[in-house]
Amino acid sequence: MIWDILIRAAVVGILLSVLLSVMSYFVVLRKMTFAGVGIAHSAFGGIALSFLLGLGGYLLPIVFSVLSSLLIAFMYKKGKMSEDSAIDVIFVFSMAFGVFILSMSDGYSANMLGILFGNILSVSYVDFILSLFVFVFGFLFIAYYFSHFQLMSYNEELAYISGVRVDVLYYMFWVVLSIIIVLAIKLIGIILVNAFLVLPTLVGLNLAKNYKNIVFVSMLSSTISIIAGISIAYLLDTPAGATIVLVFILLWVFSIAYNKIKT
Amino acid sequence: MISIEHLTVKCDNKIILDDISMDIKKGEFVGILGPNGAGKTTLIKAILGLLDFPYQGSVKIDGLSAKEYMKIKRGLIGYLPQHAIVNWNMPIRVIDAVLIENVKPFGLFLKHSKRDMAAAEHWLSVFGVAEYKDTYIRELSGGQQQRVSLARCMIHNPELLILDEPNTAIDAVYNAKMYEILKELSRKNNMTIVMVSHDIGAVTTYVDEVMCLNVKLHCHGSVKNIDFATVFKEVYGKDMEIVIHGNQCKNCVVNKGSIR
Ligand SMILES: Nc1ncnc2c1ncn2[C@@H]1O[C@H](COP(=O)(O)OP(=O)(O)O)[C@@H](O)[C@H]1O
Ligand SMILES: [Mg+2]
Repeated sequence: MIWDILIRAAVVGILLSVLLSVMSYFVVLRKMTFAGVGIAHSAFGGIALSFLLGLGGYLLPIVFSVLSSLLIAFMYKKGKMSEDSAIDVIFVFSMAFGVFILSMSDGYSANMLGILFGNILSVSYVDFILSLFVFVFGFLFIAYYFSHFQLMSYNEELAYISGVRVDVLYYMFWVVLSIIIVLAIKLIGIILVNAFLVLPTLVGLNLAKNYKNIVFVSMLSSTISIIAGISIAYLLDTPAGATIVLVFILLWVFSIAYNKIKT
Repeated sequence: MISIEHLTVKCDNKIILDDISMDIKKGEFVGILGPNGAGKTTLIKAILGLLDFPYQGSVKIDGLSAKEYMKIKRGLIGYLPQHAIVNWNMPIRVIDAVLIENVKPFGLFLKHSKRDMAAAEHWLSVFGVAEYKDTYIRELSGGQQQRVSLARCMIHNPELLILDEPNTAIDAVYNAKMYEILKELSRKNNMTIVMVSHDIGAVTTYVDEVMCLNVKLHCHGSVKNIDFATVFKEVYGKDMEIVIHGNQCKNCVVNKGSIR
């Protein structure tokens, strides 16, 4: 029974984090980590609201998160005012709104902890199937359009001239990312989602030079952190989400050391 | 090849381009001169259909809108954006940068074809950077990066080549070589080239037609028909002093103020 839960948790964790790792390549390269983090936090409000309304499903959080990610993506694109400040406002609003709502529902601190660190050991069969589905869809999306996004990150005007539908793909990227994020938050929590939006590619950049190797190393490092994190959490009886983050950060520190020694 | 009629571009009531009309014929090598903020980049973006604000007038390439032209003749436009707006921090090698416009489904899992590799190596060697093909683009100097960009523009043998300040960061010796290559391409391959440059001396030496732009189009014509002394005073302002040598160098320019 416990093995069943552990394996289910590991599979879901690995699928979602591998997907986030590939997405993180573009999030980091385009210097949009703050936008990514903003989207992850703006899902908080939607999740809190669905707790209050007693809706356990994903629909409300996904709608909430997709809308705020489109708003953030739009502001990034137009960039008239300082977009970082605008993202900050959405981010802070959603967190405050979420906490406000959670405080009205029962089990405030348990829910709060659940959203921040997730509960990967409570993956239901529905979560499992849904994650599988999102993984297949999301991975096909990012793999299919990888060279399109690569060119867009290099220079958007060139992408446009080469026939890439720049605007459509740009917004689709954020919509897909926000759906993955909502799913991932329920399972691994906001803190871990933020970690997976940035750390995989940072480790990849430290250990490899070519984009293909960077993406590969980032997926591998996520997988290692998930497996090691869950095992340690099981053995020491610590919270899985937090343990995974700590393992990942340790990995990142090693990758910096490796990079320093090499050069 | 390119025909622009009464193009006016405004941004928040500020006029960026004022009633520009011009024609560029196939195979012509055109140089666009003008001070910073003259609207040169905006004009180029208008030709390529890249403007992100509304404009009046019409811009046609071979009688088509930029969008239609690109749909039909994908790859037949080579475009070199201003150096600073390209992300040179990408973790890619020179060879990948030269072929970066070859977008393909599932590109993450694909390798370049032999034909693409050969074309890339050919153009890298034309611009003298073949030895760097496996170097990462962020490790190149600014001038080397710019040459890689030039090679990228050529990969599909474009009909139309649009260059926004190609000589940024390129040293004086190579500068002349670059203009020679461009001149030859325009003559041999009948390539239409539109080039923005601050290099007044070189532009007037190598190109067929010169356009002097500062919000309005101040002059447009072949080099020998333009009275540069008058036009430059008009376009660049009175800080500019022009010395035109008799036979040694056709048009050499000394500027007291700063052009950049
Ligand atoms: N996106 C934009 N928003 C507002 N103003 C712009 C924008 N792009 C260009 N401009 C303005 O248009 C003018 C012309 O710019 P540009 O075409 O880049 O000049 P050039 O390339 O000749 O140096 C400048 O005064 C610039 O401030
Ligand atoms: Mg310019």
